[in-house]
Amino acid sequence: MVAVIKTEKLTKSYGSHRGIVEVDLEVEQGEVFGFLGPNGAGKTTTIRVLLDLIRPTAGKAFVFGIETTVDPVSIHRRVGYLPGEFTLYDRLTGGETLEYFANLRGGLDRAYQASLIERFDLDPSRKFKEYSKGNKQKVGLVAALQHKPDLLVLDEPTAGLDPLVQQTFFAVLREAVADGRTVFLSSHVLSEAEKACDRVAIIRDGRIVMVDRVDALRDLAAHQVELRFTGPVPAAEFEQIAGVSNVVAEDHALRMHVTGPIAPVVKAAARYELADFVSREPSLEETFLAQYGQAPPAQATAVEVADHGR
Amino acid sequence: MAAELGRAPLATPYHISLRSRFYGLGSVYAKTMRDSRLAFIVAAGLMSGLMLAVSAAITKAYPTADSRVQLASLATSVSGVASGIAGKAVNVGTMGGYVQWKYGPLFLWIVAIWSMMALSGTLASEAHGGSLDFVAASPFGKRRIALEKVAAHLTAVTLAVAILGLATWVAGAAFATLPGDAIPVQAAVGFALWVGLAGLFFGGLAFALAQFFGRAVGAGVAGFALIAGWLLQNYAATVPAFTPFALLTPVAWTADHLPLAGQYNWPSLVPTAIAAAAMLVIGVEAFARRDVGAQQAVRTPRLPRPLRGLRGPIGRSIGERLPLTLAWSLGLGIFTLAMAAISKALADDVAKSPDLLKTFSQVFPGFGITTAGGFLQLMIQLEYIVVGFAAATLVSGWASDETSGRLEMLLSTPLARPRWAISSGLGVYAAIVVMTAIMAVCVGLGAAAAGSDALTPMAGTIALGLYAAALAGVGFAVGGWRTSIAGEIVALVVVATYLIDLIAPALQLPDWVHQLALTAHLGQPMVGHWDAVGVVACLVIAAAGLSLGGWGMRRRDVAG
Repeated sequence: MVAVIKTEKLTKSYGSHRGIVEVDLEVEQGEVFGFLGPNGAGKTTTIRVLLDLIRPTAGKAFVFGIETTVDPVSIHRRVGYLPGEFTLYDRLTGGETLEYFANLRGGLDRAYQASLIERFDLDPSRKFKEYSKGNKQKVGLVAALQHKPDLLVLDEPTAGLDPLVQQTFFAVLREAVADGRTVFLSSHVLSEAEKACDRVAIIRDGRIVMVDRVDALRDLAAHQVELRFTGPVPAAEFEQIAGVSNVVAEDHALRMHVTGPIAPVVKAAARYELADFVSREPSLEETFLAQYGQAPPAQATAVEVADHGR
Repeated sequence: MAAELGRAPLATPYHISLRSRFYGLGSVYAKTMRDSRLAFIVAAGLMSGLMLAVSAAITKAYPTADSRVQLASLATSVSGVASGIAGKAVNVGTMGGYVQWKYGPLFLWIVAIWSMMALSGTLASEAHGGSLDFVAASPFGKRRIALEKVAAHLTAVTLAVAILGLATWVAGAAFATLPGDAIPVQAAVGFALWVGLAGLFFGGLAFALAQFFGRAVGAGVAGFALIAGWLLQNYAATVPAFTPFALLTPVAWTADHLPLAGQYNWPSLVPTAIAAAAMLVIGVEAFARRDVGAQQAVRTPRLPRPLRGLRGPIGRSIGERLPLTLAWSLGLGIFTLAMAAISKALADDVAKSPDLLKTFSQVFPGFGITTAGGFLQLMIQLEYIVVGFAAATLVSGWASDETSGRLEMLLSTPLARPRWAISSGLGVYAAIVVMTAIMAVCVGLGAAAAGSDALTPMAGTIALGLYAAALAGVGFAVGGWRTSIAGEIVALVVVATYLIDLIAPALQLPDWVHQLALTAHLGQPMVGHWDAVGVVACLVIAAAGLSLGGWGMRRRDVAG
């Protein structure tokens, strides 16, 4: 199967400023791919290279198997794009704006356009300059979605949307994916990426630091495990298990961080009489923060109490 | 507890240098001064440079007492219609008197336009853009914000007119060749004060209106008042019905204050200063008392749906440019209509007087001024600069697709970059065609009303359109490299062309310098004399510029 998006050592520099460095990505058809990173990490730069809005300094990018710099128009025919920040025509109404974008694409399914307008609760009769931030975002979303593109490239799509409209947006995304379409979504809202994405890539300082399924990424972050024993606490035995760190003994309880498979910890615990066994799965946020060398607040406290290191 | 809740947060005080408080980021005033630096440099440089250049040119072009007598005779012997165009002629035979008569209003316009743009935009457009919310949320009142911004502009204008005053005095000292040419300090100060105060009146008007109706309405009404005030005052003698309306602006109040001509009316500056201050106060108070960004909606009719341009990029570009095009066309059309309507009367005036004809022929060689077309050609030369600025604004509009961030979404559709550049550029050319057609109709109507040949000048307006198209071509070529400066570069070319065309012959510079001005190659189309070189040059520049723009867009990154 040809990857919908494929980049090979994609690099973009802005003079002496870093953009992205040797980014390798592959996005398969029918998946929702999340592109995560804080502000300035290189998310928008990557997206703009994929759409040939800017040209790579080195490396290559392919969308639908077409090199982005060779035939961008063929790519654009099959793409719906929502920029992170955009302005449209102040004097046109929302409806006229959508009509213009539809015309640029040579037409569309008007019923689908109407359904999107209705579902996003957009008043198309108002001038663009009169819209609130959220309503402008809705116009952008409908413009990106209305022609049922094979690939949706969405840069911070939920910015400015209220929770109800966000729900509608994710429902529309699910329907698009159910139709076999692909979504490439950049965000720094980790909860929405966790909810919507099949796979995510984390970009840091212009470089991809991790690409995996959302659930696999979670495994990479430490589980927080708490064992409560009926008798003395065998801390030393647990400290020797591979992947175990930050072991803290307190009365009959033993708390630790477990990275990777949890089975060795379960086996070791089974040799003792346990009162309780609690394992908390890490969130994507914890994974993300771990990649950036920052622990969430709860973990930070534990590290301060017993800094065994890994 | 309540007291604690009410306590202001303790900030760690740190020293803000005095320099930063006056220029930089240390205060609203300092930031406004910093933002005004380019406009200040342009305005002060343009005014002082123009003063020095025209003063030098006058004494070189009219070096003898005889030539000055002829010049004065020309200025004072024309009919009321003609003197209405140029204003009151006093001591035109002296260097200062001639500058005051021919160029005085130009200096006022520079300061007035600068003030209108700066003061209408300083709060209203920031409110529109949203940045004002951040400033207004700072721990000081809205009145203080407005006062600091106005104070900064007043400082910049004061400095600029002070430099103009100095340049005026230096021009008098350096270039005076005949008795009466020297410009005393009193005259330089009086001229600079008049330019500054009258300019601030129109800026204040724009500022006050902008708080209620937004920047466009504020600047538009003030601009209209500036032009209308000038025309009404100068034609009040010919058309007495104009007098009550003419008295509404400082152009009438200060009509007798002609310092460079040695005629002073200091008291006339007092009401000008009071009116300017009053409007600035109204603006400040309106800003302080009204909601940030609140504007009275001024309903303007929408373009008919087919003209909004929803079918494709060419149509969209035309639709987007059309309101501006119609605004320019209206202004230019009224001007051309008026010029065409009076040209026959002026030509007849000259034809009746052999002395006047001789003088005119010496001052404006090469113009067949005994015919309506010839006189129209002479007057329409001014319109090249206005058409040029119209082209600059149209190019800025074209560039706004990218500078505003729209282009990113447009190019994510199956619209190739060169196609966008060329299609939207063709939209600009279509707008220029519309503007030219309206000017042609107006000049035809004016000529027909005066009973002179209408078809030749109608065809002649095509030269204005060709010049605008060439300038737009320059803008597209620059836009292929960087759209953010395309409009500014076109404006620079317009000013440079005007100055070369004006100064090169007067200073008897080598002919090749004058030939650099495109307007020097456009012949006299109002009398049917076309210069094929200029026509071809315009067409080639327009076509090549558009192609270069498309080529450049294909190669570079799109600004995000």
